[in-house]
Amino acid sequence: MSLAMFSRSVSELDGIVSFTAQAFTAQHIDSSLRHVIDLVIEELFVNMVKYNVAATSSISIEINGVADGVEVCMIDSDVERFDPTAAATVDIDAPLAERTAGGLGVYLVMKMVDSISYEYKNRSSKITFSKFLESQTGSKT
Amino acid sequence: MIEIVLQENGNVSLIGRLDAAQAAVAQDYLDQAGVEFSLDLSGLEYISSAGLGVLLKTHKRLVGAGQGLKLVNVSHHIKDVFKYSGFDKLFTIV
Repeated sequence: MSLAMFSRSVSELDGIVSFTAQAFTAQHIDSSLRHVIDLVIEELFVNMVKYNVAATSSISIEINGVADGVEVCMIDSDVERFDPTAAATVDIDAPLAERTAGGLGVYLVMKMVDSISYEYKNRSSKITFSKFLESQTGSKT
Repeated sequence: MIEIVLQENGNVSLIGRLDAAQAAVAQDYLDQAGVEFSLDLSGLEYISSAGLGVLLKTHKRLVGAGQGLKLVNVSHHIKDVFKYSGFDKLFTIV
């Protein structure tokens, strides 16, 4: 298990990437999963920072290697509810004039993970997601 | 970190990671980059939705000028993100 805390700033992203790299190495997690895990952690972290601007607590990220995959748990304490699993979808077939980047991050998260859950309790948001090698070789659509 | 290099042929290379921390830097550069250039992504290791936003805004600006943003040397990982986001239908990818 690898656990680290990060302050509420996008400038922490480099540190998060380094932490994830160390976690993968230490736990012998397949490196082909890194790209997806980096992306999902960034999107969720940035959303936590962006949608709870009044919060001051650090955000915890825990990475666990599991059989043929990886599970990640992110906890944001003393914040308002923000459930990414309930976010509006994005019309990826819309013409260029109607496309915006809004909502794209959470949309990518939902498309790229194999499972994701959200729990809000005592003003803490807890998001747990997983990604497995088997799905990495195929494509979810 | 992201490194932005203007090639001799006028194309622009993005090298490194285009994430939420680097998107503003890339956007500032591309906003000043004229309207006729391709983006060489051979050195781009990673892109998130913030980076996609940079490409989308730039593409819209170039389309408005009668051009459009062409992407060259796109890696497998980046193509996956384009596919999931529908960006593969918006851009010319060479």
